[in-house]
Amino acid sequence: MEQKEFLDIILPVKDKLFRLARRLLVSTDEAEDAVQEVFLKLWKGKDNMEKYKNPEAFAMTMTKNYCLDRLKSKQASNLKIVHNNFHHTDNIERTIEGNEGVEMVLKLMETLPEKQRMIMQLRDVEQFEYAEISEMLEINETAIRVGLSRARKTIREQLIKQYNYGIS
Amino acid sequence: MELANIESLLEDYFEGNTTLEQEAILRTYFANEEVADHLAPYKNLFAGLSAAKQEVSQRELKLPETTGSTRGVWYSIAASAAIVIFVAGFMFSNPGISQGEKDALMALNKTKETMLLFSDNLNKGTEPMFLLSENFTKGTDALVAINEIKLTADKLLK
Repeated sequence: MEQKEFLDIILPVKDKLFRLARRLLVSTDEAEDAVQEVFLKLWKGKDNMEKYKNPEAFAMTMTKNYCLDRLKSKQASNLKIVHNNFHHTDNIERTIEGNEGVEMVLKLMETLPEKQRMIMQLRDVEQFEYAEISEMLEINETAIRVGLSRARKTIREQLIKQYNYGIS
Repeated sequence: MELANIESLLEDYFEGNTTLEQEAILRTYFANEEVADHLAPYKNLFAGLSAAKQEVSQRELKLPETTGSTRGVWYSIAASAAIVIFVAGFMFSNPGISQGEKDALMALNKTKETMLLFSDNLNKGTEPMFLLSENFTKGTDALVAINEIKLTADKLLK
């Protein structure tokens, strides 16, 4: 497989991989690193990639595994996740300008358990079907619905709390 | 869309029972409509989820320049060149000999010289021996001659 052919398949999913990595690792820099690493791995194993029916799901699974490994090794070395670059990305700042409630949603998502965070990211942000999410996260569909419901309810609870606090 | 419908869709949404189409209806509704106070938090929720999708990777992707197969060839060329240089360097510069090894080499060379001198002198020593043995042979010849004379003399005396 030539480089161009490879990029044609994989570039359209780059931003989705980045957003999943960003949701898990929180730091923009680390998410960019993760995407780069995953792309290198995909490039090295590009001959196998042709065997997979769904390269997008395959790349997503690799990103998930890479990020979870990163988080695990961070925990092991007792490093804290850096939250301070939340404002770094210009385009999201523009979108949510003057709307603290929107920013709140993203911050609340960061407080969810990793599995719920990934499920909510893939469903409510990327709008994948349950079957696709199941393939990407290697979790069965029932467990995905349960996790999704829990995640959505947690966010709702917090948003209502914040809202009531804001108007009282 | 009627408010009652939206509320029932929301209920399904939080149970994880909505389809993608239904979720799209909710997103559109909360993005465009002025909503009742009790639904205001959901406006933020759906706006936030849509905003999250706007974020894109800013970094240019870096892939290795050459393809895997040609890179493999270059690796093997580089490896063989490195081996040749290493071996040649070792042969010409003779590096890494410690002081102890140098002393041992010097001692060996000295010993060789001494042995060569010794064997030269030894050869000189064999020449006189050879001469001696020649004279010795002459001596024995003479003795044989004397014996013969003695035999003749005995015969004559009888």
